[in-house]
Amino acid sequence: MITQTIALFVDAYRELNAKKLFWITMMLSGLVVLIYAAIGINEQGIYFLWFKIPTPVPIDSTTLPPAILYKQLFLSLGIQIWLAWVATILALVSTAGIIPEMISGGSIEMLLSKPISRWRLFLTKYATGLLFAALQVGAFTAASFLVIGIRGGVWEPGLFLAIPLVVVFFSYLYCVCALLGVLTKSTIASLLLTVLLWCGLFILNTGDGAVMAIRVQLEAQRDAYAATIDRSRDAAAEILAARRETAGEPPLPEGYVATDEDMLTITPWIKNVLDNRDEAEESLGKLRPWARWIYAAKTIVPKTGETISLLERWLISMADLEAMAAADEEGEATRIDESSGEVTLDQTEVQMRAQEAIRGRSVWWIMGTSLVFECVVLGAAVFVFARRDN
Amino acid sequence: MNAEASLVPGGGASDWAIDLSDVAKTYKGKIQALKGIQMRVRRGEVFGLLGPNGAGKSTLVKILMTVIRPTRCQGTMLGERVGAKGVLRRIGYLPEHHRFPSYLTGAQVLDFYAAMNEVPRPDRQARIPELLELVGMQDWGKVRVGRYSKGMRQRVGIAQSLMNDPDIVLLDEPTDGVDPVGRRDIREIVSELRRRGKTVFLNSHLLSELEMVCDRVAILVHGEVASQGTIDELTAGKERYEIQMAEGQAPGQIEAALPGLVRFAGEGDLAKRVGGRGELATGEWVEVDHGLVRVGTTDPAAIQPILDRLRQHGAVIRSIRQHRPSLEDLFMEAVGEPEGVGAEVSAKQKSAAKPKKNRGAS
Repeated sequence: MITQTIALFVDAYRELNAKKLFWITMMLSGLVVLIYAAIGINEQGIYFLWFKIPTPVPIDSTTLPPAILYKQLFLSLGIQIWLAWVATILALVSTAGIIPEMISGGSIEMLLSKPISRWRLFLTKYATGLLFAALQVGAFTAASFLVIGIRGGVWEPGLFLAIPLVVVFFSYLYCVCALLGVLTKSTIASLLLTVLLWCGLFILNTGDGAVMAIRVQLEAQRDAYAATIDRSRDAAAEILAARRETAGEPPLPEGYVATDEDMLTITPWIKNVLDNRDEAEESLGKLRPWARWIYAAKTIVPKTGETISLLERWLISMADLEAMAAADEEGEATRIDESSGEVTLDQTEVQMRAQEAIRGRSVWWIMGTSLVFECVVLGAAVFVFARRDN
Repeated sequence: MNAEASLVPGGGASDWAIDLSDVAKTYKGKIQALKGIQMRVRRGEVFGLLGPNGAGKSTLVKILMTVIRPTRCQGTMLGERVGAKGVLRRIGYLPEHHRFPSYLTGAQVLDFYAAMNEVPRPDRQARIPELLELVGMQDWGKVRVGRYSKGMRQRVGIAQSLMNDPDIVLLDEPTDGVDPVGRRDIREIVSELRRRGKTVFLNSHLLSELEMVCDRVAILVHGEVASQGTIDELTAGKERYEIQMAEGQAPGQIEAALPGLVRFAGEGDLAKRVGGRGELATGEWVEVDHGLVRVGTTDPAAIQPILDRLRQHGAVIRSIRQHRPSLEDLFMEAVGEPEGVGAEVSAKQKSAAKPKKNRGAS
C-alpha cells in the first residue's frame, strides 16, 4: 500500500518537474522574496535597496519594528497577494489536468487494473495535486523565514504555519476542480468553472467584508453617541441637583438618572445626538438580516479569505496591533460636533474593532466548515469516479 | 456452434487460470456488450480471443481487470473471484491504445506501474534491465516515452505487463502498430512466456498471429462466445479434400459422372446442374462447385472411387489437395461471412464498427 502511495507521489513530482510552469512559479516566488528582502528599515525611514521610500507619515524602526515590518510584508505581499492569488492561479493551471488526464482513455486502464481501490487511487491522486501548492509554499516560506531572521532579527517558526494553511486553502478550490474534472473530463472546463466559483467566493467575501465594515462603523458611532448621551445625562443630573440646592428645593433622590427631557432642557444640542443614535440603531437593525444571510451562506462554502487571514491572526497579536496603533500619532480622537450632533470617529479604534470582529470568528467556523464542504465535494467526486465505466 | 459443448473437457478447478461461467455487461442506453460469457482458460496455455470490432473482446478483458464494472459476473481468475483487487498482483495487463505519461522514461514506466502492482523496489530494479532486453529496448530505457514510436511503446508496454512476474498475462492487441519484425519478436516473447509456464490471454483481430501461437481460441460475436477450443477441435469435421478439374470441362460433366456414387439432395436434371451437395454411401459429404469437388473426409481412400468415376467420364484432374480450414475461415464462418472474403472484410468491419468512445469496444 505504501509502495503505491510513494509511487504516485514520485510520479506527481516527476510530472511537476517536467512542467515549465512549475519552475517559472518557483522562480517568481524567489523574486518576490528578493523584493521584500530588498526593503529595509532603520531610524531614518524605509529603504528599497539604497533608495529611501517617501511615506505620507514618517515611518521608521522606532514606530515600526523591523520584525513586524517583515512579517507584514510576508503576510500582505507574500501570502495575501502572491500565494493566495497569483501562485494559486498558476497552481490551478498546472494541476487542473491531473484528474482529467488520469481518467482519459489509455491511462485509466493502466491504473485501475492495479491492486488499488478506486477511492484510494482517486484520493491519492487528489493529494498529489496538492503537492504543487505544498512545494511552492514550502520553498517560499523557508526563504521568507531566512529573510525575516536575517533582516528583521526575529526567527519566527510560526511562519511555517503558512504551509498547512495555504495548502488547505488551495485544497478548497482543488477539490472542486477534481469533482469537475471527473464530471467533465475536461481540463479547461474544470479550470474555468473552479475559477468562476473562486470569483463567486471572492464576491461573497467582499460583501461580507463590506457589511462587517459598515456594521463596525455604525456600532462605533452608536457607542460614541451613547457615551456622549450618558455623559450628558450625568451632567444634567448634576446640574439639576445644583439648581435645586441653589433654589433651596428638596434634593433629588439618591442615584437619580436624568431623563431625556432633563437633558434636552439643559443641553438642547443633545437632541441631534439622540436622533443620530436612533438612526444608527435603525440602520444596524436593517443591516442585521443581510449579515445573517451572508454569514449563513459563508458557513456552507469554503472560506478562502479567512483561512489565509488566520496566519495574520496567529503571527501578529492584538498587542502588536495596539502597539502599532499607539505609534500612529496622526490618529484623530473620537469627538462629537455639538451643533450637528455628528460624530467623528477615531479610525484607529474602528480598525481595532474590525480586527476584533474578524478575530472573533472561530477557527472551527473558518476551517472546520470549509473542510466539511471539501469532504462533501470529494465524497461526490469519489462516488462518481468509483461508479464510472472506463 | 454450441459454446458450452466446446469447453475443454476434463479440467479440474485448479487447472483453470480463468473460469467464467456468466459475464454480462449492459451499458447505459441498453447496449448489450456481453450477453453471458462462458469461457475457460487453462493454466499455462496461450489463449486467443478473437472477434470483430464491437464484439465485446476489450469489454471482457476490462471486466477481468476491474476497469469496467460488469452488470453480472460469475467467474474466477487464479481461483479468486473476478473483481477482487488482490488477484491483480498476479496478473500482467497491456491495454489496447494504452498511453504512458510522456514525461517518464521507459525504465520509469516499468518502475511506476510495477510499484503500483506492489512489486518491491529491489525486484523492480532487477527486472527493469532484464525485461527491457527481452523486448529489445535495452538502449531506450533512459529515453522519455514521448519520443518513442508506436511499436516501441508497445514493446515497453509488454515489458511493463511482465514486471510483476505474473501468472496470467492479458495482452489486448499487442501487435497493434508493430512492424512485421516486431510481430515476430512478440510471438517469440509469447512462446517464451508459455515455456516459463505463464498463461497468456491474447486479444487480437490479427488471426494469423493468433493461429501461430495460440493453443486454444474463443470466437466472440455480438457479445457471445460463438465457439471455443483448440484449432483442431474447432476444425474437426471441417477438413476436406478438394479435387480441382482442369479448365474447359463441359458444364455438368462432373455431376453426370457422380450419380450412383453420390446421392445428391433433391431431384432434378443432373445434366443441367452446375453445382450441388450430396453424400457418399459411406456418409461423407460431397459438394460440387463448378469445376471443384469438395469431399468432407480426411481419409484418402474415401475419394478414390470419385477419382475413378471422374476419370472414367473423361474429366481431367488438375489438382487434389487436403484442405484444413484456417482460423480466418473459422472466424468468417462464426461472424457469418463466406470463406475467402478474409482480411478485407475484417478491415472494413474494423472501421465501420468502431464504437463511440470506449463503450462497447471489442
